[in-house]
Parts: sequence; C-alpha cells; structure tokens
Amino acid sequence: MRFRILCAVAAVAVVVCHPSTAFALKFSSSFESIHLDARRGDTQTRSFTLTIAKEEHATRFRSKIEDWWTTEDGKQSFYRPVGTVARSCGKWVTINPVEAIVQPGGTLEVRVTISVPRDAATGGYWSVLTVDELPPPGPRAGVAMQFLASISVGIFVNVDPVIRSARIDGVRLAGDEAAVRVRNTGNAPLSVEGRFEFLRKGQQQPVATLKLPKTTLVLDPAPVRLISAKLPAAAALPSGHYLVRAILDVGLDHYIGAQKEMDIRREQPARAPVR
Amino acid sequence: MHTRVVRLVFLSLAVLLPVAAFAQVTVTLPDTSQTTTLTANVTEQATVTVPATVAFTVNNVSASTNSASQSVTTSNVVLVDAKSLKISLQANAANFTAPAGGGTTWAASDVTWNAATWSNSGVGATGTLSNLAFNTVATCAANTSCSTTNLLFTLGAKSTVARAGAHTLVVTWKFESI
Repeated sequence: MRFRILCAVAAVAVVVCHPSTAFALKFSSSFESIHLDARRGDTQTRSFTLTIAKEEHATRFRSKIEDWWTTEDGKQSFYRPVGTVARSCGKWVTINPVEAIVQPGGTLEVRVTISVPRDAATGGYWSVLTVDELPPPGPRAGVAMQFLASISVGIFVNVDPVIRSARIDGVRLAGDEAAVRVRNTGNAPLSVEGRFEFLRKGQQQPVATLKLPKTTLVLDPAPVRLISAKLPAAAALPSGHYLVRAILDVGLDHYIGAQKEMDIRREQPARAPVR
Repeated sequence: MHTRVVRLVFLSLAVLLPVAAFAQVTVTLPDTSQTTTLTANVTEQATVTVPATVAFTVNNVSASTNSASQSVTTSNVVLVDAKSLKISLQANAANFTAPAGGGTTWAASDVTWNAATWSNSGVGATGTLSNLAFNTVATCAANTSCSTTNLLFTLGAKSTVARAGAHTLVVTWKFESI
C-alpha cells in the first residue's frame, strides 16, 4: 500500500516538476470596450470580469491602465504607460482591485471608475484596461518560454462637442486582398466599418461585395489605418476590369466613400497535365 | 378627549377619500397588444486556453530547434458584428535569461512562429517575437470556437551559446478586441 502511495506521489511530482510540461491556463473574459459620453466633472463606474476554469490552479492577476495603439496595418499592438498618447484618458481612470488571486472557478471583477476633470478639453480620449496573469514563483529548467496571459479592453471617453471626421486616402488591391487607407481627421477615436463593392462598367448592382472588419481608428500616434480583407473566391469575383468602391461608416449621418477603376487578375488553378 | 381626536381623524379621512378617488386622469396606453419584449443584453466575451510553457530541446546550438506543436483554443467568441479577437505575443524581455555562469543566450527575436491553421474563420500569421510590440499570431471572428493544434515555435541557431542549463524567457499572450 505504501509503495503504491509513493509511486503515485512520485508520478505527480514528475508531472509537476518536468520542465517541458505545458500546463494550460483556461479562462473566460469580457472583451467589451467601455464607451462613455461624459460631461466635465462626471464620474462613472463600469466593471470588467474574468473567470478562470474550475480545473485551474489559483492564479494571481494584476490590472493596470495603459495607452494603446497599433501599426497602420493593425498587425502590431503597442501598450505603453499612461501619458504616452496625447489624448489618453488613463489619468482619469482608477481601478479596484489592482491585484488579486482568483481561485479555481472564481471570478475577478475589476471596477473601473472614470472621473472626467472639470477642465478637460472637448473631444475623444482613449486608453485600455489590461489584466495580466502574474507568473507563479519558482525556477524553470531547460530552454523554455514561460507563457502568461493578458487581456486588454478599450476605454473610450467622449467629452462633447466631439468632431467625427475621416478621409479615405486610398484604395488598393494587393495579391488576394483589397484594402482601404483611412485617416482620422476629427478629434475623437472612430469605429470604422464598411464594405467594398466590385461593379462592372455601366452596371448599378455590384458583382461582389466584401465586408471589412470593424476597426478602431484612433488619433496620434496612429491616425491612419489600412483596413483590408481577402477578396471573394474567383468564382464570385472573376478576373476583369471593375469599378472598386469602398464605402465606410464612421458614425456620421452619412457614409464616406471612394472609388477607382481597377483590373483584377485572379490566379487560375493549375490544370492537370494532358497525357 | 383622546377618543374625540381619533374620531375626528376618521371623519376627516372619510370626507377626503372620495375626493382622492375623483382626481383621476384618463391616459392613453402606449401599447394595447399586451406583449412584453424580452431583451438579453449579451456582452462581448470569449473563453481562451493557452499553453503555460513551451520547451525547446536544443541538441545542436548551430541549428534551429522547433518546439512541439502547441494548442491554443478560443471558444464562445461573442463579439459585435464584423469585430474580431486578436491573439498576439510579446516577450517580457529582450533576451532569454542565461543559466548560472551567464554568457551568450538567445534574443527574443530569435523566436519565430508559423502561420498555423486555425479552425472556423481564424486566420494565422507568421511572426517574430519582439519585446517592444505584440505581434499577431491569429485573428478570430465571432464563432463557437477558433483553435489551432499546430502552432510551432522555432528557436534560431545560436552557435555562440556555450552554457548548458536553463535559458528561459517569459512571453505574454495578448487577447484584445478593441
């Protein structure tokens, strides 16, 4: 009996201590950005929740407010200390708790309180709430990467009057992607959504449409975004000469658009050799 | 005397109550269909599972070393229309931490990953690890699940590494839908 217990303990120890064992972290989280239309002097509180799976171990999390932006193509995200971005609302935000241990199956609720100063200039401001998993103590063996999880949700505060304005800088096709370059010319972050339409000359109805991903367009340091999407299949959009029209909804009472005549060349699937 | 006062109060109430009953106003009900709209306000959410460690078995420092295939899973991805969940990686330091005795070790930028196949509408992207920015690993649209089992990390060759032991680097998975 003792031998069996010893074997079981040894087996567990090997699994726990082995450097290449990849324990996963599983959790459910809210990804809802906080949007606030506020007046100077207003204070509002919202919350963020994260629940770790029952089979997980107790995990420590630390929350913080950061500034955020992306590269023009959206493939890189930058998170920096509050104040890096000119229109950061990070200094107006307090969070509670800052650090907490969440038990298996437990939920972390972070209260986010936003107090708009009485002397805040009008326009839109943004920052993000980041909740980081903290590393468990203990040395690691072997050549390895230790992973931690982090979730970020946007915080957007508009102090009226807000000027929403955007301009399309270009429409282009590259490979199997269509892209529209859009610039924020207002004083607040914009939520941009829209579509491409591909029309034959002289026709009113598009041959194909292409939905664009919903994108947040901030101001400095990243007031320009290239919003792209993969072209429809060649069967739906065959090679040819098209009027390519980009139509964007940036939250105004009208859409903004741009169109350009372009040749689209689709690659034909290789034919099997004839014997 | 007390009894008289109580009687007086009852009398007053009796006189006043009918007056209150007459003070009614006829209003038009906004909806006579007798229906109730039930609204479920669903917030944007997702469940994610990420590996906690990835080991590289480096038998030859002059050649690149692949990790085992890694699984990353997102499920119950609930987002507003046309939004996506971005999964990216950033190193917490510019270099691995070398074992006791120090010496040369790998830079974070020596780690790359493949464009893994993601289920449903997930789109994988190749990338190089950086400690300055989160580089995209995949984007997932709203869906029941978006997962991969063939994400492969590669640690580049570094023939100048001369110390055996633990070379470790902490790396952060970022999940965002901003």
